[in-house]
Parts: sequence; structure tokens; C-alpha cells
Amino acid sequence: MSERYLILDDGTVYRGQAFGSPATTFGEVVFNTSATGYQQIITNQIYHNQIIVFSQPSIGGYGIDRASYESIEPTCKGVIVRDVADVSTNRQRRLSLDEFLKIQNIPGISGIDTRALIHKLRAKGTVKGSIVDPVKDLAHAFDQLNAIVLTNQQVSQVSTPKAYPNPGTGLNVVVVDLGLKHGILRQLSQRNCNVTVLPYSCTAEQIFDLDPDGVILSTGPGSPTDLPKSLTDMIAEVEQRIPLFAIGLGHELFAMANGAKVKPLQFEHHGDNHPILSIITDEIFYASQGQGYTVDRESINRDKMLTTHIDLVDQSVQGLRHRDFPAFSVQFFPDGAPGQLESSELFDEFIEIMTTRMER
Amino acid sequence: MDTMAMKRALTRITYEIIERNRGVEDLVIIGIKTRGVFLAQRIAERLKQLENVEVPVGELNVTAYRDDIHQLDSDPNLPGKPHFEFSLEGKKVILVDDVLYTGRTIRAAMDAIMDIGRPKRINLAILVDRGHRELPIRADFVGKNIPTAQNEKIEVSVSEIDEEDSVKIVNGK
Repeated sequence: MSERYLILDDGTVYRGQAFGSPATTFGEVVFNTSATGYQQIITNQIYHNQIIVFSQPSIGGYGIDRASYESIEPTCKGVIVRDVADVSTNRQRRLSLDEFLKIQNIPGISGIDTRALIHKLRAKGTVKGSIVDPVKDLAHAFDQLNAIVLTNQQVSQVSTPKAYPNPGTGLNVVVVDLGLKHGILRQLSQRNCNVTVLPYSCTAEQIFDLDPDGVILSTGPGSPTDLPKSLTDMIAEVEQRIPLFAIGLGHELFAMANGAKVKPLQFEHHGDNHPILSIITDEIFYASQGQGYTVDRESINRDKMLTTHIDLVDQSVQGLRHRDFPAFSVQFFPDGAPGQLESSELFDEFIEIMTTRMER
Repeated sequence: MDTMAMKRALTRITYEIIERNRGVEDLVIIGIKTRGVFLAQRIAERLKQLENVEVPVGELNVTAYRDDIHQLDSDPNLPGKPHFEFSLEGKKVILVDDVLYTGRTIRAAMDAIMDIGRPKRINLAILVDRGHRELPIRADFVGKNIPTAQNEKIEVSVSEIDEEDSVKIVNGK
């Protein structure tokens, strides 16, 4: 295998072996602590413009599974692993991770001391990096890395440009695509919902015209503060009339639409090992997370919103509910792709909220 | 309906109670014996978790107010007027029962409540609405609508006194 380098904007160089595509890419380097589910993580659009480092030392052991895509065209910029498995043993597998990344034009590097790298990322926070060919003089590569400005318009690049249906014969649900992961659509399909996916730029009027029983705001990449104000205006209008369930980036926007502030997390959550407390039942569960931002707990207007879920590692807000409307949100991913399915019953709760309103 | 579905229904009802009452001020919860009492306690526990407020919970035995028991055959063993540790005057009462069927139990419960005070309003929370009303009564908070035939029975179990949390439809003759 040929050599490739991961270079960071602080001047560090990590030498490893190439796999996947030979492309040269730039991105923000983030690490994910999930032990399983690399395919769902790599294909999750929240990693748009990011290079993912896996703390799990061996990645690729079960290849690529046809039923585990979270997007059709993944938009992450690289995959960094300690060890890439060259033998895949999933009986459904068609592709190895290496073959998949070649097709998707995403470069990978193996043989990197991911423990040291993650130590650095934890200490420094946001780090820009680039995956490059091994050349003697890296000065040019560093110049390019330092010159590059990563876009803050990720949502406009991953959201669908046009509305599309995901037909069912049950309740009518509109999903606002901010960088949707397929897990959300899968959960709605399992519950036989008739889904219309709308682009992130849709208006409240366009949603009302479809007369849905409920609206879901999807997960997505980047900071909610970089998105146009029209989005929070839309949410503030919709929540008063239609049951609303917001997830991930959608949750952050839902909080902002109701007066709360969102701030960057000191230590981003990318993994599925944080215990999350459901306050109302005093129960703990685990769910997969991918968040660089969090709702500032102090900024929540308690007369307007209830905090429903808390991350027990850092006490960050993981769920909110409006006091006056059937509208609620979670920061974590309740669709169990990857990870535990124990919070997927939030989709059942959403279905029950919609059904109760219909029967009334 | 299994443990999870029952838990979810009570959770949703709790949020709806907060939504509809704009908080928990002046709220009291009254459970109709037997299983309604446990459901009332569970709702109160959830409200405590969320709002950190102890909402008073009362137990109500409606036997003395049933419309199939008359003065004539009044039994000295019948419970008299209900008694609560708290006043109902001006309060928002949430009446809780497991199954809503003919509506006669709820009518009796309302009479019992009115006998001892004048609440600001009474709302009804029900785990299962099985239809077949004989009185113009309707629940404000419903866990689940389960359409049934007259000869079927709904069997609600709660883990406090039964072996499990469940709702089952039992076929009659």
C-alpha cells in the first residue's frame, strides 16, 4: 500500500497507508468513539466537510451493508483509522470499506496512531486537516491547508434541492431536510407514514399547503447560527399549528426559534456511549450522538420550554418540549442508525401525538 | 398495550396536562379506585420530575354515588362522603381512571367531588377509551382509543397490584 499523510493546521504530520480514494481533501478533523456503525457514520451528512477519526482501532470488519446507508452520496472528506480490515465477513456485503470509499471518492488513511491524534483533538478543539500525497516538501500542502476557508453553508449543500415523496398510507408527515439521515425516513416508513421531504428553504406556507399531521426537522451539519433567520421564523409559525418533532440540528433550531441560545460544545459528542437521562420517567438510555453545538441551558425560557433530556456526562441539554404546543426535540439521534434503538419509541410518541389530535 | 406503550401513554398525558393547564398551578389529581389511583400517582410522579412540584393526589371511591344503588337499599358498609387531605375549592381537578366505558363511573365521581367542594374545573384523563357511552361524557386526555364490542372486556393490569403493566381485550360470551 502506498503512503499518505494527514497534516493538521498546527504543523503536525501523521504518516500512514492509503486506502480508499487517492483524492486530496481538506476538512475539519473530528473523532467518533462508536465501536460499531462506521458505515452509518461515514454516510451521515452531519460529517459534511469533516475528516472522521475512529477511536475504535479496527474498522471495516463487516464491509458495506446495502441496508445501512444514511445518505446516498456521503459528503465527509476522509476516514482515519488505526487499522482497516481487509477481510470483510458480513454475508450481505457487496463492497469492502476500501472499495466503497474509492467509489465515493473519499480518501482513507490507516496505520495512524489514532490515540495520540485524538488526544490532540481533545486538547485543541477544532482542527483543520488535509489528506495529502507523501511529498518531500510539505510546505506547499501546509500553505494550501492554511489558505482554505471551510464553508459554513453546509446545509445548503446537503439538503435536497427539490421536494420528493416517500409514500406510505398512514399519517402525513413533512420532513424538512437539513442534511437528513435515512434513519429518520426508515423509522417513518416502519410506521407507514406518507412522507414529503422538503428542502431546508421551505416556508411555513408551503408546509401548511400540504396539510400534514406532523412535521419533522431533520439532523444536519454545521452551526445553526449560520442558517438564515427565515428558518427559525418558519419553525415559530409551524409549531403553533402542527405537531413538531425536531432532531439534531433541527433541535438546535427549534430551541433558537423559542428564544434559547446555542453555543459550541467544548468537547463535541460523536459516539454512542453517553448515558442520557429522560427526566419525566427518571430512566437512562444510550443513543448515538453527533453534535458540535449545544443549547445553552441557562438561556432556556422556562415559562416556554421544558428540558426533557440531559446528557449525564456533561449535563448538556439533550431534549426540549414546548409548554404550550405539541412540539418537542432531541439533540441525539433516536433512529438507532447506528446504535441502540431504545429511544426510537420517540417516533411512536410522535405518532401517538398526531393520532390523538386527529381523533379529537 | 404493553409496559412500554402504557408508560408512553402516561408520559404523553402528563405533557398534555402541562400544555392544557399552562403549568401545574392549582392542579390536584384524583384517582378513581382501584387502578385509577395508581395511574394518578404515576402522573403525579412525572409532574414532580418535570416541574419539581408535588401535586396533591387523592383517592376516590365512588360506590356510594353509583346510580344503581339507591337510598332504599343503602348499606351501612357503604363509604360515605369522600374525604381528601386538601381542599377542592377553586382547584383544577384531573380525574383519572383506567377505562372509560358507559361514563356512569365518571358521573358518580363528579357527583362525589361536587358534594365536597366546588372546583374551578374538572378534566378527565383515561388510559383506555373503549366507547359505548351511556352518558354525554368525554375524556380530555386519552391514552388509547380501543374500539370494542359490547361483549368484550378491557382488562387493565398495573404492576403495583397486578403482575404486570398491560391492557388486554378479553372476549366475553
